[in-house]
Amino acid sequence: MTVQLRPEVQLHPEADLLLDYAAGSLSPALCVSVTAHLHFCDKCRAQDIALSEIGGDLLSSVGPEKMPENALEKVLLSLNSAEISDQAETIPIINEDMKKLPAFMSNIIAEPQFNFLTRSLKVAKIPIGENKYELALHKISAGGKTPKHDHRGLEVTVVLYGSFSDLDGTYNEGDFIIREPGDVHSPVATIDDECICLSVVEAPIRLVGPILRMINPFLSFSPV
Amino acid sequence: MTPLVNSSRDEWSELLTKVGNVQDKEAFSQLFGHFAPLIKGFLMKGAPFGYEQAEELAQEAMIKVWRKAGSFDEKKSSASTWIYTIARNCRIDWFRREARIKKDLKAEDLYDLVDENPAHSSLIQKRNQTTVRENLQVLPVEQLEVITKIYYEGKTHSEVAEELALPLGTVKSRIRLALKKMNIQLESLDVRVES
Ligand SMILES: [Zn+2]
Repeated sequence: MTVQLRPEVQLHPEADLLLDYAAGSLSPALCVSVTAHLHFCDKCRAQDIALSEIGGDLLSSVGPEKMPENALEKVLLSLNSAEISDQAETIPIINEDMKKLPAFMSNIIAEPQFNFLTRSLKVAKIPIGENKYELALHKISAGGKTPKHDHRGLEVTVVLYGSFSDLDGTYNEGDFIIREPGDVHSPVATIDDECICLSVVEAPIRLVGPILRMINPFLSFSPV
Repeated sequence: MTPLVNSSRDEWSELLTKVGNVQDKEAFSQLFGHFAPLIKGFLMKGAPFGYEQAEELAQEAMIKVWRKAGSFDEKKSSASTWIYTIARNCRIDWFRREARIKKDLKAEDLYDLVDENPAHSSLIQKRNQTTVRENLQVLPVEQLEVITKIYYEGKTHSEVAEELALPLGTVKSRIRLALKKMNIQLESLDVRVES
């Protein structure tokens, strides 16, 4: 039996987000944020399986469309030429930050390049090839305070390592935090350890250049 | 032969397990005969695929099935659910290719097909699949429409709302009602941050 040492995940994505996830329609950055949450949350993982079952049922009950006569033959031939199994060999994780994160994150990024935003806050952008949302890792040093800031678009934060708190409460590993435009807060990492979060930020359509756009969710437009 | 302990164990899952364990081509051929036409049908149902693209993607998906079969665990899911997720990921990759996204990330990287967290394996049991299927059939038309559109067309619920010219709240509540009816809405999931 495994001993649960970490606090139970408190904040979950809504059911419709999980549905979009299982249906394969979420944009890549949001998709990664849900995968990160599922890593920590058995409840949502069970729900994801149930939602995928709907997909399986819809697949089974759809009217089949005839495949060309030689399709199977062609596929069998291509199996012969690519007999090796697709089980990706596991590359050992050497990056110290990545060692703290769920293993699947190394599929997304191998060597995050953290840059200081403030004395206690760093950000590493994760290029993922989409325009709508930006994906990044944020790291708050132990006990570090971040300036008060507001939110210009939808933001999702998933705690991957450690914990942080703001006026609304404390957030632990796995918590899936949604902020709507207009929310203002000022996160603080817990004293004893740093905190690493995955964040998804809706790319602002109007305002600012690429540097300022990286700043959310933890840096202020109005520094304290 | 081990006795069949799980009554919901189906023949497709057995075949898929064979493919995973011993690369059984005969078992794969049977799976292909059953699932390739279903994947093609599924893709043609909603997404903007002509029959040629749908055939190509169905073949691509079945090749993935062969290669990934080793990670299929019939205790966790059924063959149809597992193959659905493979086909779904092929469709995502197709959309990404079409959009000429240069980043070399595959849907399977975004989804974490193999979760290595040991806490999960003991907790997640395969659900009784017939329940979901039967319940899908008793959904009111307007709920079924939203659900099937999301799956067949790979659109988000907000895109579906826009397309059906419905308020987002209406679509959300249809989803909630449908999931509740299918017994897959976990109560605790209604909680979200109010900030
Ligand atoms: Zn959850």
